[in-house]
Amino acid sequence: MTRRLPWPRSLAGQMALLVALALFVAQAFNLALILRDRTAFRVAQATRPAAVQIADALDREAQGRPLSQDRGRVRIAVASPLTPAMRDQPDLAHELASQLAELGVPVRHVAVALASPDQYALRPTRIERRMMARDGVAPQRRDALVMTVQQPSGRWLVVASPWSRNDSRLFWRLLAQTLILYGAVLLPVLWIARRISRPLRELAAAARGYSPSSAPVPLAENGPPDVKAVIAAFNALRLRVTAMLDEKDRMLGAIGHDLRTPLAALRVRVESVEDDTDRARMVETIAEMNRTLDDILSLARMGRPSEPPTEVDLAALVDAVVEDFRDLGAAVTFEEAERLRMRLRPSLIRRAIRNLIENAVKYAGAAEVTLEAGERHAAIHVADRGPGIPQERLDDVFDPFIRLETSRNRDTGGIGLGLALARSIVREAGGEIVLSARDGGGLCATITLPR
Amino acid sequence: MGDTPHLLLVDDERSIREPLAVYLTKQGFRVTQAGDAESARTRLAAYAIDLIVLDIMMPGEDGLSLCRHIRANGDTPVILLTARSEETDRIVGLEMGADDYVVKPFSPRELSARIKTVLRRAAGGGGLRQHAPESGSYAFAGWVLKTGERALVDREGVSVALSTGEYNLLLALVQRPRQVLTRDQLLDLTQGREAAAFDRAIDNQVSRLRRKIEADPKSPEIIKTVWGGGYALSTDVTRL
Repeated sequence: MTRRLPWPRSLAGQMALLVALALFVAQAFNLALILRDRTAFRVAQATRPAAVQIADALDREAQGRPLSQDRGRVRIAVASPLTPAMRDQPDLAHELASQLAELGVPVRHVAVALASPDQYALRPTRIERRMMARDGVAPQRRDALVMTVQQPSGRWLVVASPWSRNDSRLFWRLLAQTLILYGAVLLPVLWIARRISRPLRELAAAARGYSPSSAPVPLAENGPPDVKAVIAAFNALRLRVTAMLDEKDRMLGAIGHDLRTPLAALRVRVESVEDDTDRARMVETIAEMNRTLDDILSLARMGRPSEPPTEVDLAALVDAVVEDFRDLGAAVTFEEAERLRMRLRPSLIRRAIRNLIENAVKYAGAAEVTLEAGERHAAIHVADRGPGIPQERLDDVFDPFIRLETSRNRDTGGIGLGLALARSIVREAGGEIVLSARDGGGLCATITLPR
Repeated sequence: MGDTPHLLLVDDERSIREPLAVYLTKQGFRVTQAGDAESARTRLAAYAIDLIVLDIMMPGEDGLSLCRHIRANGDTPVILLTARSEETDRIVGLEMGADDYVVKPFSPRELSARIKTVLRRAAGGGGLRQHAPESGSYAFAGWVLKTGERALVDREGVSVALSTGEYNLLLALVQRPRQVLTRDQLLDLTQGREAAAFDRAIDNQVSRLRRKIEADPKSPEIIKTVWGGGYALSTDVTRL
């Protein structure tokens, strides 16, 4: 199970990571180049003194100071001290051979190898010997670079010098250098990225929080020019959306006016109809058309409520709606409830409750309303003993213009707009409307509102 | 013009104005028509008009502006016709000094009833007439009745909803503090608004109101019953 590495999601994080990776690659190239140069330098550094020492030693031997097998920098050996276990260094051997050739030293064969402390014991240097005598510290065991030269006579000359295997100092220096570079580059990158991303975050928050009902406050144009341009575009877009919604509202107002005027004319003329039954039916039809028009306009305006939320006693509100129905002679009951303080848009919520009760009265002739206060929610139940709605169609009735012809009577008039409007109002307030079948027949509509 | 009240009917829609004029004439009014604000002004100058029925939405000078003009030049009662039931229209209309309003499409009978009510009040129906009856807010006994939003707000700023009947009754009471109002007077004052809402007995509405606003509804301190008379609001009222 490999845990996924935390991958930065923010703009700043991703930019920083990208720059860090790029820096790392650049540093790695850099390191490789440095190591190559360094190796070439070390090769030269290791072979040149050895060649000179060999030439000097041979000169001194010619002047009568014989070479020894165990003393001096250059020693003689009968056979090559190199073993196959040692790491052969053909580059160094080649370099040494050419240096010796430059110095005019005749050789038959040159071989160079790196030996571990176990394979070749270096003689302690003078400083090490002094430190050993003074502090009793054993000298550091080091790798040795063993350079062997076979003279034309067949005799071997050996020069051995300490060889630090890996350039740990160089490594640490490069690491420090990289860290400094990271600091010097990443901090400004993070700063710039934040400078870009903060206004972007604000933009995202503004876009998320955009509410067409509130007056558009332009977002401050901060950040680099590109970001500023995006914010300016967003501000312009917001103004356009608001203007379009204003236009829509104006249009709805005009539609309402233009449809109500002929309705009003009709309503006045209906008064001259002699037959009372006929006239009553016409009046009812006109009232129905007007209510539907009202519902359509309200539904189209939802999302931009003009009424601000206020502190309201929900119990009194439900009671007032029920009372209005009772005044009109409808059999609606409400169990008086404790005062329930809530923050909501009173006339919209009134409308939602009224629509539910109206529906119950229309299909069942009566309604029982109860208010239930919970810890976090308040629930208003509107229950009836009407024909109910089949379980599988309970959700459909909320769709605008849907009416169930199977169980609810078509002649009672009205289209399912009332419930759709009630649901939009309640949802706008952060609540929900649920319909459920009642035990013993009938329907129960429940409005749940957050407290 | 004798006993026949003279109405000025101002509406740009002929389809409404003309049949309405016919209807109102049948109801015993003398009706003069005007199709726009300008001709309405001419008619106003030419006749002794008792009441103006005025459409708010008219091309050119609208009803609200004309209403303001009428108010500035006298106290001829005005009933507004509005196409929208929206709060703003109602509030603005009543602030302009209109005496009442009906929302289109309205019942001509209801309009006729309201015209009669307003005329009766204007004719000096006792001390009951009051100008701009609805605009503003009334503060009494820790409560504020806001007429614009038709809301009753308590000390903590929580609005307590009232049914239409309760609202009309309370409004009638707070507009006439410390004045005994008989049941008949209250019925008359609360009529002429939503037609259907006054069917139930005033006593019932009063007891409901008491439960909402009295600290102890059993021994009311705000709405007192006057022995053999009716009801009276027994606190001071401040217009806000």
